[in-house]
Amino acid sequence: MPRSIWNGTITFGLIAVPIKVHSATQDTGIHFHQVHARDGAQIKQKRICSKESKEVPYKEVAKGYEVRDGEYVLLSKDEVAAAAGERSRLIELEQFVCAGEIDLVFYDRTYYLGAGAKGQSSYRLLHDALVKSRRAGIGRWVFHNREYLVAVRPLDGVLALHTMRFADELVDADEFDVPTPSRAPASREIDMAGQLVESLHASFEPHDFEDAYRARVLDLIERKARGEALTAPEVQPAAEQPDLMAALEASLQSSGGTRRSTRSRSRGTARSSSGSSRRRTGGRR
Amino acid sequence: MARSLWTGSLSFGLVNVPVALFTAVRDLDLHFHQIHEKDGAAIEVHRFCSEEDVEVPYEEITHGYECDDGSQVIVTDLELEAIEPRKTRTIDIEQFVDLADVDPIHFDHPYFLLPAADDDGASRAYRLLLEVMSQSDRAALGRFVMRAKEYLAIVRAGDGVLTLTTMLFADEVRSTSEIDAATQKAHKPTPKQLNAAVAVIEELTCEWDPAQHRDRYRERLEAVIERKRKGETIKAPESGKPPSPAPDLMEALERTLEELKTSGENTNRQPQEVK
Repeated sequence: MPRSIWNGTITFGLIAVPIKVHSATQDTGIHFHQVHARDGAQIKQKRICSKESKEVPYKEVAKGYEVRDGEYVLLSKDEVAAAAGERSRLIELEQFVCAGEIDLVFYDRTYYLGAGAKGQSSYRLLHDALVKSRRAGIGRWVFHNREYLVAVRPLDGVLALHTMRFADELVDADEFDVPTPSRAPASREIDMAGQLVESLHASFEPHDFEDAYRARVLDLIERKARGEALTAPEVQPAAEQPDLMAALEASLQSSGGTRRSTRSRSRGTARSSSGSSRRRTGGRR
Repeated sequence: MARSLWTGSLSFGLVNVPVALFTAVRDLDLHFHQIHEKDGAAIEVHRFCSEEDVEVPYEEITHGYECDDGSQVIVTDLELEAIEPRKTRTIDIEQFVDLADVDPIHFDHPYFLLPAADDDGASRAYRLLLEVMSQSDRAALGRFVMRAKEYLAIVRAGDGVLTLTTMLFADEVRSTSEIDAATQKAHKPTPKQLNAAVAVIEELTCEWDPAQHRDRYRERLEAVIERKRKGETIKAPESGKPPSPAPDLMEALERTLEELKTSGENTNRQPQEVK
């Protein structure tokens, strides 16, 4: 069982659901230490006071908000905590919304919720009721001295909690001028582009996509550990833009051949039954 | 208008649509500097060699990877550059998927994609893709390279504009298998309980109205800064005690429903603590 990062209670109406919060995502990046090239020793960072040029112990560090150039309002950790809000162990689902109404752009980070002590029955009840009603619960969550807007919804048999972006953090599409072409796409072009989309249709398999860069870094480390020499990368020339209609036609022709592996399973059964439906990963043209 | 973060072309099949990428999120967070409390001076971070205890200039710093056996492999900037993804200028659409199949857990950062070139052909190709994608409710999955990092991205039709969202890779999403979701039979709600819970949820349902939710944390932090500036002292609030789970779920559900019904049109109903 992964360790929980927060324990508390979700309420809806008079029902209390004790829960544990777990991270749903993880950093799989490869991390390096900063190292002094000359002797291979690790680099330590020291906080130095710009006035005294002396190292500053952590307890003497305050948070400064710059109100004018070089002028700071200092806040202690307690004072920052004052902004977090009260009821810190409680997530009250104040309202429910149709889960499908929330545009994906609002979802920020995801956490999994596990049932807390003595909370199994109420956990299951909330989960099953959200599945049945196709709703998501909206509430506030105070985590690490910060209050988040959160959505609670069922995901893969468990309850998931998403921190949500606030509306004023999102840029409105109206702020952009999308030029209108002198003539709208012809119905034949729409038709062909539609066919092209269909020919490239596949079901979403997250595991089909791998972080190829991570694998390359690991490979580099292994080769370095063996003492191998390394080569420079090649540069890819820019693509040319052919005539739109010609490009659509040519794409449709080629998608019938080489693109078979990404073909929609339902549409492509007659032609690609022998082929694997899994895409090769990390492949680049 | 904001500046674009990346320009290139969206390519699917042999069709290339010149596009520019703009962030869809603005950073409204308040940012702090580290300050030496005693004298109010800004704190600078300097790098020191842990062996020699002397400051190390930036040029003398390289990267060390610690292996499982504790040994260290040194990797230089040049070597890391050599394995950077090829700096292509295309978002290569590899497949189209049903948007409904992509769970928000995979979503990372949202952007807008706009036609890059100011020519009619580019604008027409853009419009074509936008129309086809809004009609089919499909989203395009592809990869692109921005700032030496390769991203998996999903492109979909928004409100008259294409949007792109970078996605987490599958290994960045944890499995739910070890989460205690109370799946034992004993915890399954009775049909009566489930119906009552659904009724409570429906009573509390309203339309998703994102503008109604303000960032109270940011507002309070701004207020704290303002009060501090005037020389006030600020105390952290005490945290309230969370309610304990109801011994009788059905009773709690019924009482909730009763309260919700008697409170009627009162829009500001506050659920009460369970004793």
